Amino acid sequence: MFSERAAPTAQGLLAPPSAEASTFARVPVSAYADCSQPFRLGERSFSRQYAHIYAARLIEMRPILEERARQKWGNGVALRKLCELRVGEKCCVVGTLFKAMQLQPSILQEISEEHNLVPQPPLPKYIHPSDELILEDELQRIKLEGAVEVQRLVTGTIFAVYGSEQDDGKFLVEDHCFANLPRPLPWKGPRSDRFVLLVSGLGLGSGSGESLLSMQLLVDVVTGQLGAEGEQSCAAQISRVILAGNLLSQNTQSRDTINKAKYLTKKTQAASVEAVKMLDEILLQLCTSVPVDVMPGEFDPTNYTLPQQPLHHCMLPLASAYSTLRLVTNPYQADVDGIRFLGTSGQNVSDIFKYSSMDDYLEILEWTLLAGHLSPTAPDTLGCYPFYKSDPFILTDCPHVYFCGNAPRFQSKLLEGEDGQQVLLVTVPAFSTTQTACLVNLHNLSCQPISFSGFGAEDDD
Amino acid sequence: VTYKWLSYTLGVHVNQAKQMLYDYVERKRKENSGAQLHVTYLVAGDLIQNGHVCHKVAVVREDKLEAMKSKLATIASVHVYSIQKALLKDSGPLYNTDYDIVKTNLHNCSKFSAIQCAAAVPRTSAEVSQAQTSLQACSQTQSDMNTVSVPVVNGHGPSTAKQSSQQPKGIMGMFAAKAASKPQDTNKETKPEAKEAPGVSAVSSKPPAKGNIMNNFFGKAAMNKLKVNSVPEQPKEEKEVVKPSVPVAEPESSPNTVVEKPGKKTESARIQQKDKKSKMKRVDKSDNEEERDLENLKKKRKRIKQLQSDSSDEEDVPPSPTPEEEKAPSPPPVPALKTELEPASTEVSAGGRKRKRKRVLKSKMFIDEEEGCM
Repeated sequence: MFSERAAPTAQGLLAPPSAEASTFARVPVSAYADCSQPFRLGERSFSRQYAHIYAARLIEMRPILEERARQKWGNGVALRKLCELRVGEKCCVVGTLFKAMQLQPSILQEISEEHNLVPQPPLPKYIHPSDELILEDELQRIKLEGAVEVQRLVTGTIFAVYGSEQDDGKFLVEDHCFANLPRPLPWKGPRSDRFVLLVSGLGLGSGSGESLLSMQLLVDVVTGQLGAEGEQSCAAQISRVILAGNLLSQNTQSRDTINKAKYLTKKTQAASVEAVKMLDEILLQLCTSVPVDVMPGEFDPTNYTLPQQPLHHCMLPLASAYSTLRLVTNPYQADVDGIRFLGTSGQNVSDIFKYSSMDDYLEILEWTLLAGHLSPTAPDTLGCYPFYKSDPFILTDCPHVYFCGNAPRFQSKLLEGEDGQQVLLVTVPAFSTTQTACLVNLHNLSCQPISFSGFGAEDDD
Repeated sequence: VTYKWLSYTLGVHVNQAKQMLYDYVERKRKENSGAQLHVTYLVAGDLIQNGHVCHKVAVVREDKLEAMKSKLATIASVHVYSIQKALLKDSGPLYNTDYDIVKTNLHNCSKFSAIQCAAAVPRTSAEVSQAQTSLQACSQTQSDMNTVSVPVVNGHGPSTAKQSSQQPKGIMGMFAAKAASKPQDTNKETKPEAKEAPGVSAVSSKPPAKGNIMNNFFGKAAMNKLKVNSVPEQPKEEKEVVKPSVPVAEPESSPNTVVEKPGKKTESARIQQKDKKSKMKRVDKSDNEEERDLENLKKKRKRIKQLQSDSSDEEDVPPSPTPEEEKAPSPPPVPALKTELEPASTEVSAGGRKRKRKRVLKSKMFIDEEEGCM
């Protein structure tokens, strides 16, 4: 993208100084609307149980699923609740999926004295051949067997199954369907090339300096200091930068104060303090030149449960002075230049990765879109706020760009839906390991990775 | 020397800096002088990787330049990144130079850049404080709704577990709440409430007036005094209205016990009315007030002792229920006042008999005066 336009003047700067140097104006923010209101929490009360969020989820998604069921299996299909099931009758049931997993870490087992178990070390995947699927609705639950891929599905998904009840009380599934893509949003995209840069996993404070130069190069490219004139004019068309989580590295999470004696740790500062200062400086450089949205991630100083609230502005005193800095929630939704962006910092996808046989982050991302829910595992294995009347993670509008941060590598795909939806799925890799960011072109919904490198002690390959 | 360092040091556009570096290299090389210069270049372009096009930006040494250029399918830009006398082992020094120079120029780091963003205007301090107060107002209005519109409780830091900076907001919020009902009293109410807030903030273990046990002691005493005094002040409306306007309050036949005290109070009230939202000033005033209270207390103590010698001990007992009764008919703030008063009184009494006596005496004296007036 950059290169075609920039190529003609590529060598332009290998010349004696010219009289004047050109500056380019950044493309103005034409239309930006922050739609992540449902993810902001006001007064929080944790005295509720999580059953409410499941109930809200089921109630909200039931009509959508019934509609899909009728589309798929005909208008005359019998939609039954579990309590109305009769043996042998072919019908369709809508409910919440529960996967009984043997290896799932359970706090009750850990503290139970009769088992005397040592806490299980975290495994990459918790699936096991003996896992079972159970469908629950408001009143009852029933075991599922048949044409369902047990390993692939995760707890908390709402879906519809078509089949019949067996004599032994299990439900034999012949077919199933998900909510599918939600209704499409009208296209109001820009008429010329506009770019949005997606970066995640900056990993500051990790103590290793390899990615620091790459980060500086990234900032320089975006602010227009790097590159010849052609490249700079292209960079001027980056209308926004979204930092999708994990701005601090995992190393800042260790808390010596727990393990060491107090007199040893009295004067030590948390590692995250230095890291946040560095972050502030980097953000300041970016903010003077481009609007930035900062999403918190798994290792960032904000709450652990989803939806993560924005970082507090007093942590970033230098950068907060600029109105181009926006601190936003973790599942983030916004209209940028008419294109709807929706994305997370990756916790939902990595959680599904742990409890499902799906290995590809892009595949999981696509699956969550088809299931109509951002993070089905939310209250079960991923921390979540106990919502009461509504579940803000249900996808109601189809985004144009759907991303997740902190993926192992960069992947992107343009998904076409039945109703004409076009969604660009992007898995943004962690910058600290791959030194790669993503450039999304809003004009034609394409995405290009952009990678940076310095030179190390050893030669390049 | 990197291009960025040159650009900041000479105050030129980054592109010009890059060109200057190139020019320098060329000239030096042509001169063929002995010194060897090592140049690093920045190369950017498209690279076909894993089947899709990847844009790559890399800093490379001169010897690797051609190799990198050949790897890239299309080259977007090439320019000189930096020049060194010695061969660089890794990119550490490059990063460090850039980091240092940027750090010293943090606030105009985009001045020499090729892209200027019109939207990147620093927020004025008014906007910043507005953003902060809007945050605080949101949380404060929530706490307003939680607590049953008891202005005193709002003003109390510990009960809502908010920072003491909430107290000015609480006072303003209470202002707004009561403005409709009692327009005249707002003036007077800021005074006692404002006083209470710093008093409370001193009592609670919040930072502003902390540190000194003495301070706390007098803070508690001040708070008691304030509370006790604020109660009769509320029923005595007209006199209170008159009070702020009169600079020195001697001629007023107010129920307040100490003559100096109302004067001081009006002064500080006036001062406090003047500042709008500055917590700092309030804290300062509370400090001053406490110092003045200290002096007052000293004076008062002497007077109390004299009075004590006159009155009998029986009077200790009846006055204490009467203050309670007195307070009961007062407007709603009182029950909360009392609850705050009780813990304070228990704390005070735990401190020593002397303090307890002082408190009871204070109220007693004040009732005597009142009865005398009536």
